[in-house]
Amino acid sequence: MKTNFNWRKISGLFMATVVLTFSCKDDFLNVPPTGALANAQLASKAGVEGALIGAYSALGAKNFTQVAAPNNWVFGSILGGEANKGTDPGDFSSINPIQRYETEPTSGDVNGTWNSKYEGIARCNAVLRLLPEANDISAADQKRIIGETRFLRGYFYFELKKIFNSVPYIDETVDYGTGIEKVPNTPAFWDKIEADLKFAYDNLPETHSQAGRANKWAAGSMLAKAYLFQKKWAEAKALFDVVIASGQTTNGKKYGLVASYSQIYNAANDNNEEAIFAVQSANNTGSVNNSNAFDVLNYPYNTGTDGPGNCCGFFQPSFDLANSFRTDANGLPLLDGSYNSGANALKNDYDIESSTAFTPDAGPVDPRLDHSVGRRGIPYLDWIAHPGKNWIRAQSYAGPYSNKKYVYYKSQENTLTDGSGWTRGYSVMNYTIIRFGDVLLMAAEADAELGNLEAARAKVNQVRARAANAATWVKKPDGSNAANYVIGLYNTPWTDKTAALNAIRFERKLELSGEGHRFFDLVRWGIAKAELTKYLANEAVKLVTMFGGATFRDGKEYLPIPQAQIDIQGSDVLKQNTSY
Amino acid sequence: MKRENFTPKLIKAFRLVLSAGLVLFTLSVSAQITGVITDKATGDPLIGASILIKGTATGTVTDVDGSYSITAKAGDVLNVSYTGFTAIEVTVGAESVLNITLEEGLLIEEVVVTGYSTTKKKDFSGAVSIVKAAELRAVPSGNVEQQLQGRVSGVTVVTNGQPGTSSIIRVRGFGALGGNQPLLIVDGQPVGSSDFLNPDDIESTTVLKDAASASIYGARAANGVIVYTTKKGSRNSKKVNITYDGVLGFTDPNVAGAPKMLNPQEMADYTHLAYRNNATANGVEVKYNHPQYGTQAQATIPDYLHANGQNGVRGSVDVEAIKAAALASPGTVFLIKPNLAGTNWYDEITRTAGLMRHTLGFSGGSENSKYYVSLGMQNQDGILIHNTFKRYSLRANMEFNLTKRLRFGQVAQFTYREINGQQGGNGGIGVADDESDVLSAYRMPTVIPVFDELGQYASTKAGGFNNPRNPVRSRTLNLQNDKSFNANGVGLLYAEFDVIKNLVLRSSIGADFTSNFFKGYNYRYLGDSEPEASNSFNEGSSNGLGWVNTNTVSYNFKIGNHGITALAGAEFLNTGKGRFVNGSGLNPFSMDLDYVNLNVVQSPVVSSGLFSGVNFESVFAKVDYNLNDKYYLSGTIRRDGSSRFGINSRYGVFPAIAGAWRLTGEDFLRANNFITDLKLRVGWGQMGNSNNVDPANQYSLYAANRGLSYYPIGGQNSGADEGYFRSRIGNPDAKWETTTTSNIGFDATLLDGKWEIVADLWRKNTEDLLYTVPLPGVLGTNASAPAVNIAKMLNNGLDMLIINRGNFSSDVTYEASWSSSFLHNEISYLAPNVLFFGGNGYRGVSPVRNAVGQPLSSFFGYKVLGYFKDAADVANSPAQTGKGVGRFKYEDVNGDGKIDATDRTFIGNPVPKYTGGLTFNVTVKNLSFETYLYTSIGNKIFNFSKWFTDFFGSFEGSAKGIRAKDSWTPALGDNAKAPIWESHSSVSTNAGENSWYVEDGSYLRVQYLSIGYALPNTLIKPLGLSRAKLNVAATNLLTFTKYTGLDPGVGGDVDTNFGVDVGNYPVTRGLTFSLNLGF
Repeated sequence: MKTNFNWRKISGLFMATVVLTFSCKDDFLNVPPTGALANAQLASKAGVEGALIGAYSALGAKNFTQVAAPNNWVFGSILGGEANKGTDPGDFSSINPIQRYETEPTSGDVNGTWNSKYEGIARCNAVLRLLPEANDISAADQKRIIGETRFLRGYFYFELKKIFNSVPYIDETVDYGTGIEKVPNTPAFWDKIEADLKFAYDNLPETHSQAGRANKWAAGSMLAKAYLFQKKWAEAKALFDVVIASGQTTNGKKYGLVASYSQIYNAANDNNEEAIFAVQSANNTGSVNNSNAFDVLNYPYNTGTDGPGNCCGFFQPSFDLANSFRTDANGLPLLDGSYNSGANALKNDYDIESSTAFTPDAGPVDPRLDHSVGRRGIPYLDWIAHPGKNWIRAQSYAGPYSNKKYVYYKSQENTLTDGSGWTRGYSVMNYTIIRFGDVLLMAAEADAELGNLEAARAKVNQVRARAANAATWVKKPDGSNAANYVIGLYNTPWTDKTAALNAIRFERKLELSGEGHRFFDLVRWGIAKAELTKYLANEAVKLVTMFGGATFRDGKEYLPIPQAQIDIQGSDVLKQNTSY
Repeated sequence: MKRENFTPKLIKAFRLVLSAGLVLFTLSVSAQITGVITDKATGDPLIGASILIKGTATGTVTDVDGSYSITAKAGDVLNVSYTGFTAIEVTVGAESVLNITLEEGLLIEEVVVTGYSTTKKKDFSGAVSIVKAAELRAVPSGNVEQQLQGRVSGVTVVTNGQPGTSSIIRVRGFGALGGNQPLLIVDGQPVGSSDFLNPDDIESTTVLKDAASASIYGARAANGVIVYTTKKGSRNSKKVNITYDGVLGFTDPNVAGAPKMLNPQEMADYTHLAYRNNATANGVEVKYNHPQYGTQAQATIPDYLHANGQNGVRGSVDVEAIKAAALASPGTVFLIKPNLAGTNWYDEITRTAGLMRHTLGFSGGSENSKYYVSLGMQNQDGILIHNTFKRYSLRANMEFNLTKRLRFGQVAQFTYREINGQQGGNGGIGVADDESDVLSAYRMPTVIPVFDELGQYASTKAGGFNNPRNPVRSRTLNLQNDKSFNANGVGLLYAEFDVIKNLVLRSSIGADFTSNFFKGYNYRYLGDSEPEASNSFNEGSSNGLGWVNTNTVSYNFKIGNHGITALAGAEFLNTGKGRFVNGSGLNPFSMDLDYVNLNVVQSPVVSSGLFSGVNFESVFAKVDYNLNDKYYLSGTIRRDGSSRFGINSRYGVFPAIAGAWRLTGEDFLRANNFITDLKLRVGWGQMGNSNNVDPANQYSLYAANRGLSYYPIGGQNSGADEGYFRSRIGNPDAKWETTTTSNIGFDATLLDGKWEIVADLWRKNTEDLLYTVPLPGVLGTNASAPAVNIAKMLNNGLDMLIINRGNFSSDVTYEASWSSSFLHNEISYLAPNVLFFGGNGYRGVSPVRNAVGQPLSSFFGYKVLGYFKDAADVANSPAQTGKGVGRFKYEDVNGDGKIDATDRTFIGNPVPKYTGGLTFNVTVKNLSFETYLYTSIGNKIFNFSKWFTDFFGSFEGSAKGIRAKDSWTPALGDNAKAPIWESHSSVSTNAGENSWYVEDGSYLRVQYLSIGYALPNTLIKPLGLSRAKLNVAATNLLTFTKYTGLDPGVGGDVDTNFGVDVGNYPVTRGLTFSLNLGF
């Protein structure tokens, strides 16, 4: 009896378990993903706005190679001869061939740069695809969202254009599974960049309540720059003139030059009247990626608490750049190119120990030198005076100078830096992608190309006058000027177009050094080979290990299409740039 | 109704036989001999052992107490045998009491435990390997799988010497492009890792290798199955058996074997040599401008490397003033004298590491129950300072009868583990780490002392030494207060019901709960050139719960000569659901341990997450048929569903079939004296795998991520706004990978068990391999690409086990066991137009390429022809970036007249062609000797640590190795061991992946050598002991290898990225003493 009872009970229990588990089997194998959102969850105003923030976030090239940084410190400044990699030969050695103009298509940094821009484009396209799915967005908001998105997409393609020249143009109509990998690369997409920027210019409001957004004038400035790159001088001039006359920042400041040159590079002065469009950065966000993580290597080396950062001594200004700041007695630059020769060259502490006495150069220099180049004996912001060799990892390899722009102040440590990373060097200074000083010089260039030489001279002088404000020069602790600063305006009317263009171009070098523009300027001017051959000749004598035997060859104006992408998409889809 | 159960019936049967025997004895006119027969290892009585007087039909069997009684006369030889034990012969003397102990061994009737069922090995058609408890115990390692190395043919164990890590196990090669870990089953319950197991608790380990044996696990079995069975106790043991197993030992860090570094003066001299070589290469005048070594051609070492901001000070300094400055500004002022004798940094960060393990076991049982309870503790130090491992475990296994047909049981273990100071990711498996402390020891110049004159840690604050960090400082300061622990409970409840005789229903429910916690403190230290600027603190925790429910019905019966065993079942499981949270922050007011928490730090960063695990739902069936114990046929089928896959493709069906033929059962072999047993086996089957697929693979998703998609859109300097990005592109059509395995093999026993040979030839073909086809960058690379069923992989090999045993004399017996595995692995297909994908890059060097037609993780790079011998050689050679005298001269593989990336080729691979293990045991009376050798042949190692030590230009100024002395000179030419000593860095020197880094990683290691002594019964009986054994063993005693790195057993990542030595945690020599007691 008892046995029977057990048999029934236990069998019943067994069967119940089986039936129970089988009966809910459809649900059982549906395990929803965790910590992520489905497409439908984003189909609302809040979702689309969030996706747009995601697109802005891609400006910082977060988690990609430091070389992909929006400030183009490698592809704009180092390739442009303003600086070299710095540090020592072994550190980040994948940059070594790049700065020698020997970039291989297999370079991971090149691939990372490509990917970082397309990540931004993919995020823009996602916004444009999500937008029609949401039905709670007003027409005005739709216009604004599309405008901001297309501005960003236009910017990313502009970057690709400058760096690679020929790339596949992907818009929101192609995606995974709909042939995205079959879109071939082409150099002919300026019209697409113009269309995006034009839409943004025509549709965006003049101001936003949030300072980080692109407004009408950011789009206008970028569009005018796109005209300039295509040598559409008349369109460029017309639009630049409107921007200069009427432009204002997103937070409602009339466009103008910051009174003190050094205050362009101060986190406390972010989103100033000169900042047309900037990569915003902040601390206490839960990730150092939201600060200037791309700049974290670019501080002097081994400074301890006497200087900023912890690392690593990258991005050292070149001899050529430092020498370019030499002026004549009138405070004008040596436009004949003699700044590198003989006594004109800046006296420096190359090969001199920090413990050996050294007196800095006493000749006339442009005051922007000491806002741009860290050199021995000159106060390094509010840190100590640059001690020379002790702050340089391998002076014989990379020269005596340190990067000085986009460096945070001692007084800002922990308030305008993010200390939660492995180094102290996560500053929250915005990198300004396009600033009013740049616009003035581009406008001057368009003027000069069109023969309006006096209008051009006025704009150049406007830029120089700001630098000439003696109150803003670097001072010693006793209040005297840190060096013999002499800067003057171009007081003689310009009559020769070539000379005028030469002056404008040189002014861009001085004003915008280290800001990632130089190489792209040289390429669009068609003088990259000539200029960089001279540059290499000058540097290679001193930095033999770094530059010995390096030459700039035709075709190196653009980087190679990443081999990794050709491997994925096929060489019938992606054609390698010539000379690679 | 009278309470009854099965066991007493058995006893009755024994008694019946016994009395039958007694009847026989009474017919004889001899003395009566009595005694007890026991298991030599455990002291347990052996019930039903048979005793036969040789040459007669007279015999008996032991009763439930192991007692026997037989009538024999002096001079008779008793043949004593027991299933699974070595039969022995005892000659009757004058004594009337003859206690006999038997030893497990010869012709053991091994059983194959698959987790769902148990089969006699002799009736089994599949390919399995069984490792018995005694063998496992032999190697005093903390983790059980490390002990499988070389003992089981076909199993690759990639291990490192770091305590508390689990090893990487690969059964029969690499079936997939990742996630090739075998399925681990502990007492029928799948577990994620075996690192909680105490080796002393394990009864046996079975490795199911082919489809015939493993496909009962269907979709999860493609990588093999390792089934651990823990001790259970035995019914009807009259007393509580108490065992104690203790191990004490230590591991030597092998300082003498560590790579040799240049001493301080040599380093100075070789720095100046590099300056000379630089000058020559660049055609300029040499300048000696190192901050420490003086400006003369003859390098000298200064009196102070650093004195409060001044480097390379010659002469005296004002020590008192510097002390005052240090007091005024603590932590920022250093006074570093050179250590002229040279600091041996590897020595400084290592120690002789102690090991201790104690296990107390209680086992026993009554008529209606059996149990095993153990308490275990292991305390093990790593050879790196501040690396410790502790494990405390409680295991409680019991089974009891509720009624005569219903059994109820439980296996459970509660474990506390604490692992501190471990290096490398993935629970210490991925130990090879570019910034590891072992590597730091090779990068830190020998001239720098551990401490400066002010008693602070000294480091590269002294200029000219680049950026290495003082590893003693980083290990001590940053690890001494860290703690990481894990509390884990894993267990299974089951009920078994005998519906009718031999028809058993079984249902079980198991759970695996784990809770982790860690806290870490990092301390501000400004003495490095790249200093740690802040004090920081982090802590976090996680928990997870997985469960499994298994229901089976099994029936076995015999009709005439036909034996049939059938099993059917259903299983449901979740791999683990849980959450984690962790946070970090900086610079609390005080670093007092009693003060710091996340509330008092600055810039706190908190993150958390959740996971749901994967659900599996399976039904399975298995039928084994045997005819006359001669012909065997076995069929298995399993259908699995997994939540990893989309609704259309989530089920997979995996069949297997196997047959065996016992040739010795046939007349033509029955009569021979040579072949005792011979069984041919052949099997075919399919198994699945989905380990390498993200649980969300089927979904297209967006995500928010602070580090990837937030943005301070308001222009604020603090805090950012939430943004979204596409985080995953889904593939709803992905389905199971299918591995088709064929196996043909035989089990042979020769000369009455003197020889045993097991051999299997196998082939494993994986199709529909889930491969994450790299997406074009234009799609946006932050979105994870979906895995699609596209790639193919081929593995084949030969597994062999040869055992020879016998005796040199009646007192001296031996056993030699040699296991061998030959493996060939090849990626046969990836995706259309995809011929390869890469592995990790290290400092711009990318050594690994996974390519079609090549083994996984093959090394890919330039082939070094030699060194450029002079300017003419340079000029006449093809164009090559950075080419120069004394630098690497590469082969123009594609013959296009220039050396570029297209000239890279395959330069070796880390998959060993052959691995083998040899165990040799000799027993001389109570003494036993055991030695165990392991060898790996044909594997290559990419010795990336040479990047740091063998190029002057790699972090110039940091420590360099003694190969500098054999760096290129015109005289050495191609006999040089490294390129010319110089600063230059390009693909022609340190920036290119090339064959110079590739070394032969073959090795032979005497992994174990031991002497054991079992105390004689006469000595221990009075102490109340049934067993006492002492053992002394040396582990990793000798390693024979040509490899120049620290240890050829390179751990680290596996599958698509392994065999790269980046400062590996070495396996080193140790000595252990163990004591095993039975009460």
